[in-house]
Amino acid sequence: MLEIKHLGYRYPKAPGAALSDVSLAAKRGGILGLLGPNGAGKTTLISHLAGLLPVQQGEILIDGEPLAAVRAKTPTRIAVAPQEYAFYPMLSVAENLACFAAAGRLSGAKKHERIAACLAFAQLERFADTRAEHLSGGLKRRLNLAIALLPEPELMLFDEPTVGVDPQSRAFVLDAIKALASQGAAVIYTSHYMEEIEAIADQVVILDHGRVLRAGSLDELLSQDAYAMTLAADGITAEALTTLLSHFGTVEQLGERVRLHLNVPPATVLAALDAAGAHVRHAEFGRANLEQLFMSLTKRSLRDS
Amino acid sequence: MLAALIKKELLALVRDVHGLAALFVMPVIFIIIMSLALKDYYSPPQRSLRYAIDAQDSGALATSLATAWQRQHGAPETLPSDWQQQLRDGRLKYVLVLQPGLSDELALPSLPTSARIQLLAEPGLDGNLYNTLKAELAGNAGELKARAALAETDAPPPPPDASMHALVKAERFGNNGPRPSAVQQNVPAWLVFGMFFVIASLSSLFVAERGSGALARLQSLGVPRSVLLASKALPYLGVNALQAALMLAVGVWLMPLLGGDALSLAGIHWGALLTALAAIGLAAVSMALALACAVRTHAQAAAIGPIANVLMAAIGGIMVPKFVMPAAMQKLAELSPMNWGLEALLNVLLRGGDVASTLPHVLRLGGFAALMFVIALLLFQRPAR
Repeated sequence: MLEIKHLGYRYPKAPGAALSDVSLAAKRGGILGLLGPNGAGKTTLISHLAGLLPVQQGEILIDGEPLAAVRAKTPTRIAVAPQEYAFYPMLSVAENLACFAAAGRLSGAKKHERIAACLAFAQLERFADTRAEHLSGGLKRRLNLAIALLPEPELMLFDEPTVGVDPQSRAFVLDAIKALASQGAAVIYTSHYMEEIEAIADQVVILDHGRVLRAGSLDELLSQDAYAMTLAADGITAEALTTLLSHFGTVEQLGERVRLHLNVPPATVLAALDAAGAHVRHAEFGRANLEQLFMSLTKRSLRDS
Repeated sequence: MLAALIKKELLALVRDVHGLAALFVMPVIFIIIMSLALKDYYSPPQRSLRYAIDAQDSGALATSLATAWQRQHGAPETLPSDWQQQLRDGRLKYVLVLQPGLSDELALPSLPTSARIQLLAEPGLDGNLYNTLKAELAGNAGELKARAALAETDAPPPPPDASMHALVKAERFGNNGPRPSAVQQNVPAWLVFGMFFVIASLSSLFVAERGSGALARLQSLGVPRSVLLASKALPYLGVNALQAALMLAVGVWLMPLLGGDALSLAGIHWGALLTALAAIGLAAVSMALALACAVRTHAQAAAIGPIANVLMAAIGGIMVPKFVMPAAMQKLAELSPMNWGLEALLNVLLRGGDVASTLPHVLRLGGFAALMFVIALLLFQRPAR
């Protein structure tokens, strides 16, 4: 459905590229989880797909056809549900839907049918005449979702659609997005909540500094980092512990603890520690989860400063 | 699509009470206050000024002068003992001192070489009024001297209505257009100001739309930029038309009820009025679009729009009529689009101008509107970061 090849973009007067050599694909019926810290390039990527930025380098193809040509013919094949409440707070739910339906070139009976269907899908019928500014956070998220679905898009982008909502609304939104994919739509989903990506994404792309760091199915990504061991030990200095563990894999400092991405059986590591006179106070062994992988790839430094 | 977007814009506007107040109530209040406050500027109140006469000469001619003055200015106050103090603090507007020897001087068949009448005015008396009183006194005295001189000749006595005043006929040159009044000046001035106030309202909604992502969503749905701009321009042109109708109605019907003069539309060229209003509307809305596309935050929208409006009004002759400005300021006023609009309306409402005579200002407004619209289009195409 969607294929992005070697996409690059630099904003006017910006010192560096916002996107560099980004390639990814999203297929019908699947959910692509897009992960990245603030400033990674997610918004720039989404802006391209929304038609708000021109392609400078590389190409974006929809079923093999350039995005610009597809958007010129049928812009509503691709819908974006931004993380902001992208509607008019002074208008009612029904007025918002009517406005965006008309903007998506729906008219007559089809328009009324789609508005009714989206109201029902987002369970907003009771709030049709309520002004959007008076809705709760969860209802606003659902209205955002309903507007995105109006033109029955084939590719949908959800940019952090669960920010600031209660657990019930979050579950509702996630179920709704899964249902859309199961009905045949291609979905791109960005979030800072790793457990959400783990719960719904088939494919994951981790982006940072405008580049793709990892891409693949969730299983592939997590297996790439094999197994990790988190350790805390007494009777050995931090420096000596790091030096010792570096013989068995990649070492990552986590405050008082260290995480070792193993390339040997865990018993070998424990035996070596014992031989060095260290007393293991804490040991945790298993496959890394998505958050651990994400943090190890993107480092822990804050991105908004 | 366009109709739905216009409906959205109108709903947003109608539900913004503060925006509506700025667009409709504020100019009406300005028209009422300024017209009532400046009512006397166009018809100075010589007859109602509180004055006294210190008649130190009781001769026949001095008494005639005092009598003629009373006919023209109403009865004087009895000269109070503290009249100097009352004059200083403005309770008395002026005092005429008819000095001893005035009657003798008026009877002499020669021109005077020294003052016999003193006009003592309170410090705050308007300069034009002061000069008018002084000239009127000199005119009255001159007429008395002429009558005295005529009486010494064999000429037949003048008819009762004969006077030096009959020699001069003054009128405001032009056609049959309305008489200048505070309302006739203030309605067009504050109408232009109000029409340009769409800048604040339009840019504020535009910034909110862009900040929320609603604008990006519309663009993502394939709504062309020209349709987006048109969906904003057309409702506000309608707002401008409503403003014009309301302000003119206030001038025609409300002002007389409040004790002011009525705005007169008798004999005006309606085609010229509509042309001028359309040009002002286009200029105001195009400038609003350009500013809306230029600003990025609510704070910028809330500050820049009203500041631009007030500055254009201040230099453009809205707040202070251009004809009272010194020459350099008048040149500066001609740079303000509000001044072009005001001059076009004054040409129609005061001078009875037709379409052709409003064209110089209308063309300037049209050119300005086109320039602003192009700037709006260019700014709208900037990639957002």
